[in-house]
Amino acid sequence: MNDPELTPFDQELAKMLRRGRSVSVAGFAERVVVAARADRRRRVVVRWSSAIAAAAAVFVALLTLPASSEEALNRQTFALVAQDESAQLADLFGAAADLSLLAPVAERPAVVETFVAPGS
Amino acid sequence: MLPDDEDDKRLMGLVAGGDDDALRLLVHRHHARLVGFLRGEVGSQATAEELAMEVFIRLHRAAARWRPEAKLSTYLIHIAHNLVLNEWRRRGRKPTTALEFAPEPGDVSQGSARRVAELDEAFRRAILQLAPEQRTAILLVVQQELSYEDIAEIMDAPVSSVKTWIHRARARLRELLKDFHDQA
Repeated sequence: MNDPELTPFDQELAKMLRRGRSVSVAGFAERVVVAARADRRRRVVVRWSSAIAAAAAVFVALLTLPASSEEALNRQTFALVAQDESAQLADLFGAAADLSLLAPVAERPAVVETFVAPGS
Repeated sequence: MLPDDEDDKRLMGLVAGGDDDALRLLVHRHHARLVGFLRGEVGSQATAEELAMEVFIRLHRAAARWRPEAKLSTYLIHIAHNLVLNEWRRRGRKPTTALEFAPEPGDVSQGSARRVAELDEAFRRAILQLAPEQRTAILLVVQQELSYEDIAEIMDAPVSSVKTWIHRARARLRELLKDFHDQA
């Protein structure tokens, strides 16, 4: 006990509580061993079930996924592009778009400048 | 360290290897105190036995991972305490059921047996009326004679809290048992 000051009440409390300190139960150890064995078996079954389920999932994935996924992705991309009408229109007007983009960059010849602004 | 503790370590090693005889020995050695503690906590012999069974199953599962940093008896009480907390939660923090305690004869004369039985039941009822932390702390210090440090470890609390719970438990018990105490 840690408490150095034990009143008569504390002594009575200790006496009463210590009467219930140890409660031996006949056959308890055997019951525990039987339950532990059952628990061990259950855990083995759960472990194997998990392993089998994981293996089955991998097997199914191998069967259902395409062999070369990169090649399949390329094929899908080209198919989508072929179906895309906006891309086809862009191809048609692509040249005009290119010209309009280039126009501001083209410089007027020096002779044209002379005729346009004679007073300068 | 006591020889029993060393033997507990040896037995735990064997339990980890699947030795049922070692488990049987460990249970035989520790179950009575564990059931006593749990009976004080939950107020029912049947529930105490069920919880003690669960404690040993968990010990058996954890045997391979167990590190002998504390005494096995303290470790068992630690598991038991956690199970009791779960039990309280399950029951909505009402630990009492019908009391099943029978007076234990032996240290009293036949003439005073009835009086002792009444006192015994009054004490146990009073214990069950304590706040959970107070009950656990007073049982561990008085009934199981554990140190404040061990109790703090078991209850995952500072030693100062343990001392406070014990102080309050004593005060509350004195109040609850005032009538019996005055008669004595």
